[in-house]
Amino acid sequence: MKHVLEGSHAVSEAVRLARAQVISAYPITPQTHIVEALSEYCADGIMDARFICVESEHSAMAACIGAASAGVRTFTASSSHGLALMHELLHWAAGARLPVVMAEVNRALGPGWNIWMDQSDSLSQRDTGWIQLYCENGQEVLDTTLQAYRLAETVNLPVMVVLDAFFLSHTYEPVDVPDQASVDVFLPPLNPRVELDLNHPNAIGQMAPPAYYMEMRHGIQLAMQSVLDHFIDIEQAFETVFQRTYGPITPYHCNDAEYIFVMAGTSVSTCRHAVKILREEGHQVGVLKLKMFRPFPVQHVRNVLQHAEKVIVLDRNCSFGVGGIFAQEIRAALYACDRRPEIYSYISGLGGRDVTVDHFIEMFERTTKAHKPEKNSVWIGLNLEQGS
Amino acid sequence: MEQSIKNNSQTVSLLISQSRTNTLGNKTGTWRFVKPLYQNKTAPCSNVCPLGIDIAMVEMHTAKNEFEYALDKLLIENPFPALCGRVCFHPCETACNRQFLDQPVGIHHIERFLGNWGLNHRIKFDRYPSLNGAKIAIIGAGPAGLGAAYFARRLGYTCDVFEKSIAPGGLLRYGIPSYRLPEDILINELQRLSHDGIQFHYEHAFSIDQLDTLKQHYDAIFLCCGDSQAISLNIPGANHVIDGLYLLRQLRNQDAPDIAGTVAIIGGGNTAIDTSRSLLRIGCRPIIIYRRSRNEMPAHIHEINAALGEGVVLKECLAPISIERQSNQLDKLTLQAMKPDTTVHQGRKRYIPDTNLTETMSVNYVVSAIGAEMDMMWHTDQWDLCMSHCRMKNMSGMNLFWCGDLSTSEKTVTHALASGKQAVLALDIFRKHGISAIQDNLQKYQIANGPALSFERYIQGEGLHAKSSELVQFNHINTAYFPTTPTHTPKRLPHEICIQSFDEVVFGYDEFQTVQEASRCFNCGICNDCDTCRIYCPEMAIQWENNNRHILMDYCKGCGICIVECPRDAMTLEVEP
Repeated sequence: MKHVLEGSHAVSEAVRLARAQVISAYPITPQTHIVEALSEYCADGIMDARFICVESEHSAMAACIGAASAGVRTFTASSSHGLALMHELLHWAAGARLPVVMAEVNRALGPGWNIWMDQSDSLSQRDTGWIQLYCENGQEVLDTTLQAYRLAETVNLPVMVVLDAFFLSHTYEPVDVPDQASVDVFLPPLNPRVELDLNHPNAIGQMAPPAYYMEMRHGIQLAMQSVLDHFIDIEQAFETVFQRTYGPITPYHCNDAEYIFVMAGTSVSTCRHAVKILREEGHQVGVLKLKMFRPFPVQHVRNVLQHAEKVIVLDRNCSFGVGGIFAQEIRAALYACDRRPEIYSYISGLGGRDVTVDHFIEMFERTTKAHKPEKNSVWIGLNLEQGS
Repeated sequence: MEQSIKNNSQTVSLLISQSRTNTLGNKTGTWRFVKPLYQNKTAPCSNVCPLGIDIAMVEMHTAKNEFEYALDKLLIENPFPALCGRVCFHPCETACNRQFLDQPVGIHHIERFLGNWGLNHRIKFDRYPSLNGAKIAIIGAGPAGLGAAYFARRLGYTCDVFEKSIAPGGLLRYGIPSYRLPEDILINELQRLSHDGIQFHYEHAFSIDQLDTLKQHYDAIFLCCGDSQAISLNIPGANHVIDGLYLLRQLRNQDAPDIAGTVAIIGGGNTAIDTSRSLLRIGCRPIIIYRRSRNEMPAHIHEINAALGEGVVLKECLAPISIERQSNQLDKLTLQAMKPDTTVHQGRKRYIPDTNLTETMSVNYVVSAIGAEMDMMWHTDQWDLCMSHCRMKNMSGMNLFWCGDLSTSEKTVTHALASGKQAVLALDIFRKHGISAIQDNLQKYQIANGPALSFERYIQGEGLHAKSSELVQFNHINTAYFPTTPTHTPKRLPHEICIQSFDEVVFGYDEFQTVQEASRCFNCGICNDCDTCRIYCPEMAIQWENNNRHILMDYCKGCGICIVECPRDAMTLEVEP
């Protein structure tokens, strides 16, 4: 049944339907609405779950790790500085192979103090061993959260469902909220592969000396490598129940495109408008939406991009000293291709600044006119030009 | 510990570190260089209580609805909780650590409730042992004498109490007005001393010369006669002045003096306040004349506020210099304006006449309430032993103890009771170990660094109720466990109603308020079985067995989390040798 929901509550509904058993979180804008709704569900008995209030995000993740180690389905949500504070335990959750699911609302880090949309927070955590899935709209947020549980519990790796601050977290849209019975068909109860047993006490996550550690890390990488196949299977299962599917990437007008935009998150929707306008003007242009960032869907990306002339990557983030992070990942993915398009890296929309259709057209025009890419990422939409 | 790699050979690789067995083999105790101890410490309230009541324990039992245990804890150190809950100046609340979080615990209201509860439920006090054969004579049945009788009887002494008036109580009966201490409470509490081995002899006054007649019958004599001589104003016309304590005694005897109109009360102590509030109740217009400023009045602040609230007038910085009788019921009172001097006398700022500034006022009566002093016949400078609350002297083979107002500078009911306790313990130690052992032995039973004494420890031995003399500081309270809640204020009669009778002004807590208020107590320094230490121990090294918590030293790694988490500083970290 369709409801008009804000993106945050699309997450809350999914977590309720997923029958999460332990929720632990610390409030931070723009994530707070997610756990606010869940805390009410717990308090009102709508969910049969324990909501553990904690004094920090570090403890929130620790509580999820403890609960997941005991074999129950867990959830937390965070953002920006809160996610940064969790960093140590993000490694732990992945290393312990616990299927924790987290909603991560993309927000800038201070200073200057900024609560608006920016991808720096989640991308700073890319090497922690968490699966990262970026969403474009409220429906995708709800669906991805449900898929995230099944994926996490299949590969025993934690999943981060990422949504843009305000553009998605606080925007109301019609969202189809499935009924519990359908969700139960898609998502069976957790059958944990790692579980503490009070009757047979033992210790987990202890010392792993040089003779053992490397194999454990290799195991994580193997599990990550298997994610893409599992995700496709899970999406098929999801489609049979709900008749919706997304894919690790979503191309739009890419088949014949000479120029292809690449990005993640809500700006994909804006970019589609730019693509329509440019197509009407006769340009062969498309946009590739990245949903899955970790593991990076290298072959899928290659298949779409390798025939393009130029690839225009929008990063709402910056790895200072290098430039846009998505652009680097795309370059690395395409390096082994026989035929490689040129990668034009643009940075825009940091700290909640709008990325408009005009900005995409500006990127397009700069790209088509250029003979080769600039040495550094090009910043679009700056209010103040500064010297090099 | 043995490590293993677990490979669940399912589709997805899953390698984690996991032990085959439990962690009991991992004796984390070997890491330890400091160890936690359960160690009760002294709460600041107990430290300042003249009777050394274990207040933290009283509040703990009260909060758990265990009124009988709570009352028992009170009665171990104090014979009259219903009474002290009303008249004690409660220094405990001034010292209460809770004040640094929000407001101090209403300790005296809780004590009053428990005392009343005991009386209403006729809780029998049965801690009197069989008599040991030794006999003591107690001169005076005021607070000090009653305290001495109570504690002496509890050590098995046979007590004969000689009282010059017709009933026991002394100042409690004749000095404190019934709107502060109703007579039925007094009578009922004193019943606690109606026991085999305590004999009262009324209308039996003694002079020092008569003490010799007691010598052959008693092992010791306790002088508890109080300050019986009113200090008179040394000014022209002082012969027209009525003594405040006399007035209070008359009122208590329901023998209201024939006095009306405007009455000047000279003095700033509790007697001045009690007198003026009593006069208000019989229709007079009382005016308190005090030579210093209001802030320097020795009366308790809440009493001063109550008096002024009821309509007593206070004139500060004025000293009487003469009284002239103008007619049968009219005096002309001449007052000298006073001002503070830079010098200090006996710890108080001196006040000196402010040049020639004088004023006169016409009043119907002048009442003197500037204090009382001991009868000079008890005066001596030669002591065998001076203690904080009593003095001892052997006079021609008799062991004499000067108690109560005769030996303490702080003349309150609670100090007088404490004086009786100290004298009894001193006598008992003296009889067992001689005079030279008294001071050292008393020290063993001190609350923290004294001077209050724990009768409980004296009777039951040190081990059972041992407390470190370390005082619990507020910064050792883990306030995360204590949400702020305001103290409960009991109802009281409105000012305009209460001055119409001698009915008790303050109502006290009901049962619900008492339990709620006791729950506000931090229980500083004592374990109240909250179990926080056990819950937080990361090594699960704290075990609950045989109704006791103990620490498994094989596993305690000395991290100190239990000490930090303990809400009430009942644990200590000790460096291991």
